[in-house]
Amino acid sequence: MGRSDEELVGACRAGEAYAFDVLVGRWEDRIRGAAYRFLGSEDEARDVAQEAFLKAYRGLAGFKQEARFSSWLYQIATNLCRDRLRRRKTRPQVSLEALEETGPVIVETRPGAHERLLERDMAEVVRRAIFTLPEEQREVVILKEYQELTFLEIAQVLDVPVSTVKTRLYRGLVQLRLRLETEGVRGPAPVPVPAP
Amino acid sequence: MECERDRDEALQGDKLEVLYGEADPAVRERVDAHLEACAACREEIKALRSLRRDLGHWRVPIARPSFTPRGFVVPRWLAAAAIVLLAFGATLGISGYLSIRQALASQEARASLLEREQRESLKAIQASLARVPVSAADAQALVARFEAGLDERLKSSELQQAERLDRRFVSWQERAEVRRRVDMAQVAASLSYLDGRHGEQLARTNELMGYVLQASQKR
Repeated sequence: MGRSDEELVGACRAGEAYAFDVLVGRWEDRIRGAAYRFLGSEDEARDVAQEAFLKAYRGLAGFKQEARFSSWLYQIATNLCRDRLRRRKTRPQVSLEALEETGPVIVETRPGAHERLLERDMAEVVRRAIFTLPEEQREVVILKEYQELTFLEIAQVLDVPVSTVKTRLYRGLVQLRLRLETEGVRGPAPVPVPAP
Repeated sequence: MECERDRDEALQGDKLEVLYGEADPAVRERVDAHLEACAACREEIKALRSLRRDLGHWRVPIARPSFTPRGFVVPRWLAAAAIVLLAFGATLGISGYLSIRQALASQEARASLLEREQRESLKAIQASLARVPVSAADAQALVARFEAGLDERLKSSELQQAERLDRRFVSWQERAEVRRRVDMAQVAASLSYLDGRHGEQLARTNELMGYVLQASQKR
């Protein structure tokens, strides 16, 4: 059994640099995943993850351990993503991913190609639907649905009351449901999910 | 049942807790009771569960190599042990080198001291030789004395050797005589034994011949 995040933070503060490597290894993928969903860009997500860990490392001395280390890390990453989104509004950019979306259509003929295309289409519809949400709702949906944080942890990350988290999530889910129904994805009937 | 789900934030929160598995038993009981009576909320929960399955289609791409070093990181205790071992090895090496160097230095010092002593004694001999000049007559007398002494010692040595040889010869003769006598005694003993054996066989043969003659006469 490995050491807990809090023990590793204590070890970092005591000068054990290796402990921070363990923390990075433990949380890097999840922070990068959250940033990718906030920003929609792999490259930016990686940059944000690096920046978040750098900030966390520099700010370890000021970390009060009232919240969990992961919540604090998510908070840093979320703020970095907010900054980037704000900059995008003032300086519109075209990401490579966006260019790829308008690129030529690749016709796949291998077995299972149809299912893969459907899966990719479905993922794209979901992605677009989530990006139509207001930022505060999108943050809550991503942190809850994809990062699987508890309501309390989300409240700590966003620095809002738990009731606000629930209200934003509820509104976001209702909007997403309407949006997906408008896209013709499906109604309320369940459909089997393809194996990952 | 009249449901105000769009306005009742507490009910929304409870339903979300149930939807995400965070509800405690009391909340779950409350929501279950409500769902039994409210078809609209039942449909809504069903739709939200379906929505969550749809949301699962959006996945994060597989990460490309990132900045985090994922190779083997040496634990601190192992690094400390390696440093201690290295330090120990280095100390051994340095002390060995120093002791060898010290031994070589002392040997060199001893050798140079001996050389100095030899040189000094040689100088002393040369000086003493230079101090006492030798005339030709003295030299001849010295040589004659030396030769006379040498002859005397040679004669004495030859005499001693001759006496030693005589003693050895006498001793050898005595040992050879004793050996000869012992051998003769052994030969005589062997011959008498053979005579005895021969006599017994002859008597036995005569006895057998006697029997044979008696038997032939009886026939």
